[in-house]
Amino acid sequence: MSSNSANGNGIVGTRVPLIDALKKTTGEGFYTDDIKLPGMIVGKILRSPHPHARVKRIDVSKAEALTGVHAVLTGDEPGAQNRFGVLPISRDEIALPKPGAAGRAGRVLYVGDCVAAVAADNEEIALQALALLDVEYEIVPAIIRVEKGLEKTTEPIQDRTKDGTNVHKTVEQQFGDVAGVLDNSAHVRTNEFEFIGVNHAFTEPMATIAHYDADDRLVLWSAQQVPHYLHRALADVMEMPMHRIRVIRPMVGGGFGGKSDPFPHEMIASLLSRKCRRPVKILFDREEVFYNNHGRHPTKTRIIVAADKDGMLTALDVDATIDGGAWGSFGVVTTYYNGVLAMGPYRIDNFNYAGRRVYTNKAPCGAMRGHGAVNTRFSFEVTLDQLADDLKMDPCDLRLKNLLPANTETINGFRITSNGTRECIERARERSGWDQKYGQLPFGQGIGLSCGFYISGSAHRIHFNELPHSTVHIKIDMDGGVTVHCMAAEIGQGSDTMLAQCVAESLGIKMERIRIFSADSDTDPVDLGSYSSRVTFMAGNAAVRAAEKIREKLIQAAARKTGYPAGGFVLTNEKVVYKPNPDIFLTFDEALTAALAKSGALIAKGAYLDPPPIGKRNEFKGWRAGLSPTYSFQAYMAQVHVDPETFEVRVQKVWAAHDCGKALNPLAVEGQIEGCVHMGLGQVLMEDMSYLHGTIQGPNFLDYRTLTPMQMPDVDVIIVESGDPEGPFGAKEAGEGPLLPILPAVANAIYDAVGVRVFSLPITPDKLWKAAQRQGVKID
Amino acid sequence: MILPSFKYHQPTTLNEAFAVAKTCNGDFDFIAGGTDVLPNYKNRLNNRSHVISLSAIKELFELGDSKIGAMVTLVQLEKNEWLLQNHPAIAQAAHLIATPPLRESATVGGNILLDTRCWFFNQSHLWRESKGFCLKADGNDCLVVPQKDICYATYSGDLAPVFMVLGASFHLAGPAGRREVAAADFFRHDGITRYVKQPEEILTHISLPENAGELRASYRKLRLRDSMDYPVMGAAVALRLNGKIVDELRIAITGIDTTPFLYDDITKGVSGRELNSALTAQIANDVMEAVKPYRNVHFTPQYRKAMVGVYLKRLLQELSGD
Repeated sequence: MSSNSANGNGIVGTRVPLIDALKKTTGEGFYTDDIKLPGMIVGKILRSPHPHARVKRIDVSKAEALTGVHAVLTGDEPGAQNRFGVLPISRDEIALPKPGAAGRAGRVLYVGDCVAAVAADNEEIALQALALLDVEYEIVPAIIRVEKGLEKTTEPIQDRTKDGTNVHKTVEQQFGDVAGVLDNSAHVRTNEFEFIGVNHAFTEPMATIAHYDADDRLVLWSAQQVPHYLHRALADVMEMPMHRIRVIRPMVGGGFGGKSDPFPHEMIASLLSRKCRRPVKILFDREEVFYNNHGRHPTKTRIIVAADKDGMLTALDVDATIDGGAWGSFGVVTTYYNGVLAMGPYRIDNFNYAGRRVYTNKAPCGAMRGHGAVNTRFSFEVTLDQLADDLKMDPCDLRLKNLLPANTETINGFRITSNGTRECIERARERSGWDQKYGQLPFGQGIGLSCGFYISGSAHRIHFNELPHSTVHIKIDMDGGVTVHCMAAEIGQGSDTMLAQCVAESLGIKMERIRIFSADSDTDPVDLGSYSSRVTFMAGNAAVRAAEKIREKLIQAAARKTGYPAGGFVLTNEKVVYKPNPDIFLTFDEALTAALAKSGALIAKGAYLDPPPIGKRNEFKGWRAGLSPTYSFQAYMAQVHVDPETFEVRVQKVWAAHDCGKALNPLAVEGQIEGCVHMGLGQVLMEDMSYLHGTIQGPNFLDYRTLTPMQMPDVDVIIVESGDPEGPFGAKEAGEGPLLPILPAVANAIYDAVGVRVFSLPITPDKLWKAAQRQGVKID
Repeated sequence: MILPSFKYHQPTTLNEAFAVAKTCNGDFDFIAGGTDVLPNYKNRLNNRSHVISLSAIKELFELGDSKIGAMVTLVQLEKNEWLLQNHPAIAQAAHLIATPPLRESATVGGNILLDTRCWFFNQSHLWRESKGFCLKADGNDCLVVPQKDICYATYSGDLAPVFMVLGASFHLAGPAGRREVAAADFFRHDGITRYVKQPEEILTHISLPENAGELRASYRKLRLRDSMDYPVMGAAVALRLNGKIVDELRIAITGIDTTPFLYDDITKGVSGRELNSALTAQIANDVMEAVKPYRNVHFTPQYRKAMVGVYLKRLLQELSGD
C-alpha cells in the first residue's frame, strides 16, 4: 500500500482554503439553527437553581393548560430515565429526573441541571410555561469542593462510586522504582499546581432539532462532533433500533470537545417530538452552554521530577485529583490521560501515577482540546524549567538531552514511530533567537520554552467491537464528480477538506470534482467522530484506501482501452498516463467512460482498522489508555512583556514548532496551530470557570473572558514534517497537541521576565502581583 | 435569550417624552443606545413595561461649543476634531469603552448613567434564584456587604471621572424645568438610586467650563483585556502647572466604588507646591489609601487598590511631562 507518500499530484502539501469556507463566510451555509421545518416548535428546558436536590413533585397542570404549549416533559416520560453516556463504562446521565424517585434517578445534580421541559409555539410561550411549572425540591447537601468528594457519604451524587465516597474513577500505575530513584537523584523538584476549569467557548451554542415523523422514524439534526455515539445513545434512550433513527450533522460552529457527548437536550428534544409529533428545536443561550459545560476538568496536580547530576531525568511522579462535576462523560479517559500522557516526549525509566476523578455538584466536565494532557503538561514543563535552573542548564539543552528517539517504545508501552521533537526545538531555538534572549533580556521581558506530546487518534475503541475506526465510500458516476461518504464530523477543523485532498491526490484530479457527504447517518458510513485527534489519521487512511480501489478500476479501463499493461499507468493531472510513454494517456473523463461501460457507477470502500499490535498488552491495568497509532510532538517558545508594577502580561511573540508528520494542507495546519495558541493563552492568562458556592460565577462571555484579537500575539508557525510511516501521505494530527506547550511556555517566560512563578491558572495580574509582593520582587 | 415584552415609545421632543413618561406611572425606562439597558432587560433585571427612546429628540445630539449632547455616540466622541484638539482625554476615554460595534450605538449619556454592576446582580433570573436575589433586584439583602440599606454595586462608567476632573456640568430637563448639576455633585453613594437625576428627568447634555481647555487631562483604565471589559479601576487626572508648580490638580477614580469619586480633599492642598517625584508618590499614595474596593467584580480588592497608586503615579508623570 502506497498510502505513506504523496503521489506528487500537488494537492497534498498545498495551501488549500477549506472547501466549506465560502459557504460559511458568505452566510450560504446552514447550521442547525438555520433549519426551519414545517410545523416546527420550540423546546425549552427548566433548569435547577440548586446544586443538589431531590425533585419531590412537579405540577405540570398550569403549564399544560397554557395556550400554545404542545407538550410538557418530566422524568415520568418513558425513556427520560434511560441511562446514557459517551463511555459505555460510565453511563450515568439521564434526560430528566423522575419526581419522587429514590437515589440519583430522582435528583438534580448541579445548578443548571435539567428538571423538566416544554415544547411550545414560540420561545416566549415556552418561557411562560417553564415559569408555570411548580416544582417541589428537597435540598440535599451539595459537594462543591473536590476534597469533600473524597470523603465517605450516605448519599453519593451518582449510584456507582468508590467505597461510599464520591470518587468516580481511580488509576494507579507504577513503572520502575520511583521511590528508590528519588532517594538517589541529585536534583528533585516537587510542585503543587491548581487548575481552574475552562470551557470550550465555541461560537455556535448547542442546537438540535428532533422530528419524530409520520413514518415513526426519529430524525435528529444536531451540532455534534460524535454523531455516531449520539446515534447509539438515542437508540438506548428512545428504545428504538438504530436503523429507525437518522442523525444529521449540519455545519458546526466549533466543538473543541464540547460537542463530543450525547447530551440530555438531544434526548429531551427527541422525547418531546415523539410526544407531540412535531419537529422540536432546542437552541441554547450562552448561559446554558456553560451549565452543560463538559469543559476541561479543574485539577489539583502534585508532581515530582528528578534528574541526576548531569541532567538526565530519572523519575516522574504525578498525582492528580480531578474534579469531574456531576456526570461521568469522558472522565475515565481523562483520569488516565492526566498520567499516561505525561512522560512523552521524554525518556524516563521510572514513573508513578495516581489519579482520581471525583463527582461534585457542579456542571459536568468532559473532553476539551488537548484532553487530559494539558494540566499535567503544564505541571511537568514548569517543573522542568526549575530543574534546568538547579542544574544551571539551558532549558533547551535539558530537554534535548532527554528526548525519546524515533521508532522506540516507552516504558508504559506506547509505540513511538515518527518523532520530530529535536527538529522542533532546534528550529524554534534558531528562529526565536533563544540563545541571545533566554536569561539575558531586561527585567520585565522574558522568553520561555515548552515541549508537547499528544496522541493522534485513540487506538482503543470506546465500544468493544471489531468494526473499523473509520469507513469511506467513494462513488463516481458519468457526470465525473467524485462523491465521498464518511461520517467524520466536520466541525470547522477541516476534515471535509482533508478527505477531499486525500481522494483528489490519490486520483490525480482537481479538488473541484470532489463532493463530501459527511453529515447523514442514513447514507454515510460510520466514523467514530471528531475527538482524540483521530480524523486525519484514520478517516484519511480510509479515504486513501477507497481511492486506491477506484484508481485501480480506472487504470484497468485505461489498459483495456489502450492495450498497454496496467502496471505502467498512473493518475496525474486529470489524466491516466502510461508512465513509460507519457504520450499514451486517457483523460480522466475518457478513462471514466471506459470504466463505466457495461458496469455503471464506480464504487469503492476503504476502512481504517487498527495500528499493529503494541507491546505490554494486558500486562497492567489500563494498558490501552493513551495508545495511538502515532504521536504528535511540539516545541514552543513564547516571548512576553510583564509590566513590572501592574504585572499585566503581554505575550509578544510565539514560535510554534509542531511535528504533524506531513502538512496535507499547510494553511489548515497553520490555522490549527494559531487557534491552539489563542485557546491555550486563554487558559493560561484569563479563562476562569470559578464557582460562587455552587453556581458558575460568570456564565457569559463578559465575565468568562477569552482572549480578544487585541491580546493575540504574532505566531511564527514552524511546521516540522517527520513523515509518519503509517499516516495518510505521512500525516498525523495537528488539532490538539499544538495547544499543550503554549501554557507552560508563557509561564516559563513570565519567570524569565520577572522571576515570579504562579502555581495556579489562570495567571492573572492580581495573582502575579501578589506572588511578586510575597516574594519581594524588586524592580531593577 | 429573548427580551421581555414592553411597549416602545419614540417621542420627538422632550416635552412629548415627559408626557409619555407621565402616562407610564413610573413603570418606564428612558433608553438611548440600549447597550446597557437591553442586556439587563434580557436578564430580567428591573425591566419595565414601557421603554421610551430618546433617539428622535434632535436637541440631544448636539456636539461642539463646549457642549456635548447626551445622545452623541461614543464613536462620534472619540473621532470628534474639536474634542481631540481641546479635550483629548474625553475622546481617549471614549475610545477605551467596550468594543467598536458597541461604541457605534452607545452614547455619552448612557455611559454617564450606566447602571451599577455587581456579579450578584448582572446575572440571569436562574442564576440569581440560585444565590438568593439581591437588594438591587427582586431581593432584600445586599450580598456583597450584608445589610439591607444600600447597594454596593460598582459604578463602571469611564466618562464621568473625566468630566469630573474637567469641572463639567450635567444638564437635566424634567417636567418641572431645567437644571444644571456639577459632575462632582451628581452621584449618590448607593448602587440603586445612583445619582440625583429623578426618574422623570432626562440628561440633555454636558457642558465644559471655559477654562477646561487649559487643563491637561488623561484617563487610564485597569482591566484584563484591552477591549470589551469594564474598568475594574479607572483613574482620571487633570492638571495645570505653572512651571513645575501645581496650579490646579484634580483626580477622580471610577470602577472601585458605587460612584466615581473626586479627591479634591487630597488634591486641593497641593496647589502651589512643586510636583516632584516625592509629591507625586505622596498624592498617589494618599488617594490609594482613600479608596475602598469591594469584592464584587474581577480582580482582588487589594490589587485594585494598589493599582490606584500605580496608575496615578503614571498619570501624574505623563501629565507633568516627566
